[in-house]
Amino acid sequence: MILSEKLASIGYWTHFVTVALFALGLIGFLIRRNALIVLMSLELMLNAVNLLLVQISMRTGTSEGMVLVVFVITIAAAEVAVGLGIILNLYRMKKTVDLDSFRSLSG
Amino acid sequence: MVFAIFSVFTLLTAAGVILSRNVIYSALNLVLCFFGLATLYLLWGATFISMIQILIYAGAIVVLFVFVVMLLNFEKPIDQSVKLPLMLLSGAGAWGLAFLLLRVLSKSVGEIPILESNSGASVRTVSKLLFSQYVWPFEVLTIFLLALIVGIYVLAKPEGEEKK
Amino acid sequence: MNGLDFLIAALKAIVILVAVIQVVPVMIYVERKVAALIQDRPGPNRVGPFGLFQPVADALKFLLKEDPIPHYTNRLLYTLAPFLSLLPACLVIAALPIADKAILFGREVTIQIAELDVSLIYILAIGSLGVYGILFGGWASNNKYSLIGSLRSASQMVSYELPLGLAAVGAVMVFGTFSLREMVLQQEGTLLGFLPNWGIFYQPVGFLIFLISSFAETNRLPFDLPETEAELVAGFHTEYGSMKFATFFMAEYMNLATMAGLMTVMYFGGWHLPWITDAALLELLGSQNLLCLVQVLTYIVKVSCFMFLYVLIRWTLPRFRFDQLLSLSWGSLIPLGLLNIIVSATLMYLIGVKQ
Repeated sequence: MILSEKLASIGYWTHFVTVALFALGLIGFLIRRNALIVLMSLELMLNAVNLLLVQISMRTGTSEGMVLVVFVITIAAAEVAVGLGIILNLYRMKKTVDLDSFRSLSG
Repeated sequence: MVFAIFSVFTLLTAAGVILSRNVIYSALNLVLCFFGLATLYLLWGATFISMIQILIYAGAIVVLFVFVVMLLNFEKPIDQSVKLPLMLLSGAGAWGLAFLLLRVLSKSVGEIPILESNSGASVRTVSKLLFSQYVWPFEVLTIFLLALIVGIYVLAKPEGEEKK
Repeated sequence: MNGLDFLIAALKAIVILVAVIQVVPVMIYVERKVAALIQDRPGPNRVGPFGLFQPVADALKFLLKEDPIPHYTNRLLYTLAPFLSLLPACLVIAALPIADKAILFGREVTIQIAELDVSLIYILAIGSLGVYGILFGGWASNNKYSLIGSLRSASQMVSYELPLGLAAVGAVMVFGTFSLREMVLQQEGTLLGFLPNWGIFYQPVGFLIFLISSFAETNRLPFDLPETEAELVAGFHTEYGSMKFATFFMAEYMNLATMAGLMTVMYFGGWHLPWITDAALLELLGSQNLLCLVQVLTYIVKVSCFMFLYVLIRWTLPRFRFDQLLSLSWGSLIPLGLLNIIVSATLMYLIGVKQ
């Protein structure tokens, strides 16, 4: 009974948390120039999607949402690893990870 | 009430991620944000997902971030000036999108009825689904990860290695 | 949740946490005495009879010494790092089952702080947060050697989490559950008539992998390179003063106690005596609370054996080199863990175990 009371609270305000998290991630992605922080805000957006998937899955009682969450978490981990590899290469080229200094296609 | 506290905590730390000057403080805020999310998952009864979230996100991904920050020493702090028009435009765009999404979600998800007995979150049901209905994506994911590992090795190899 | 439930839960949490913190002074004394025995010297024998009050002297020293904060460090991270190391060490204790039910205030109370159906993942997850204290400790010290030590230690801990998880997956397959309490409940009685029904007889290779990985997870010799006493000054806690240094040490010993507890729970029967089932013991003793006391004592004896083993191995084996350490984890333990899973699964399928 306590669980269904908690599930009943999945409504307007929890969706607000989801979209607010997504919006914060999007703002960080657009504004910041440090490549690491851009990657972190990408993670924030993925987590907002996870939150929504878990909410829907718990509300309908199926576990397909959970399976999707597992896939999203795995792929997010892999993508972070590749992103960090790319950032390391960027640092090797120009000794900085400021995204504004990577303006030209050559070198 | 407890939901409100942890939701506000999550949003505050997420704002801290994108607004911190120092990259390490951003990483710390990110860990706290993931913890807040894991607590929210626990409060809704999805215990497996919350533990997986802490294990992988807070325990491995952010560790990778902190490694990279410590390996690259940032001499001068970047982001010395972010132009105000850019901030306003991106803020308006993002929050506008958020408002749209909120409208769509409240209309569609809000109408799903709640089931009384909810065993959909245990490890057993998730793993049953994972190995019966979603076994193809599961196996493809393993090959994908293998390709990724090879790719990361190629990306991060030190320069100037001669072929032996 | 009404007031009495809350009181019982708080009481359990406080008692178990304080009991595990008491491991630290005991381990300080045992470590130095056993080291002395192995190295054929007397060891601490000045403070009290047989040096038994040595931990008290150590604690007083740590509390009363000046706690410097160097000016060239990042103050927030410098102060935060020891607590980031201590917090996971204290949180992990919540999921370890110490004994079965006792009857307190007319209710049945299980001697385990929090009973989750995913306790094992909880322990692995919170254990993987221990890396942060080391990383931030080395970074905030603003010292090249500390940074090298902390990066080495962090990569070692992350590398050895994988064999730890793989060995745990083997145990989960055999017992069919992630919950540690269920695992212990399934380990009572005898197996094949003459062996105690413990997890180590189901998963011997898994136990070996878990044992080796637990040495590496807690930065304990022979995987001691990040905090070597001769090479890197003192590794990532070079720049730390009295109480913060003591906090790092407390975290290390509490992690040891947790790993020892986890090993007894998964592979050595938890609170069960070797061949005797709980029902037989209850008939013998008559009272549920007395049975609970016997179970707690059994658990403590088993954990003490493992702690003694940790100390013994520390003063016996030489240290691994860093590349040997990493190649052991990625090259030997992870393939062995995967092989363990495959063989266990095949054997379980052939024997026809139904979950």
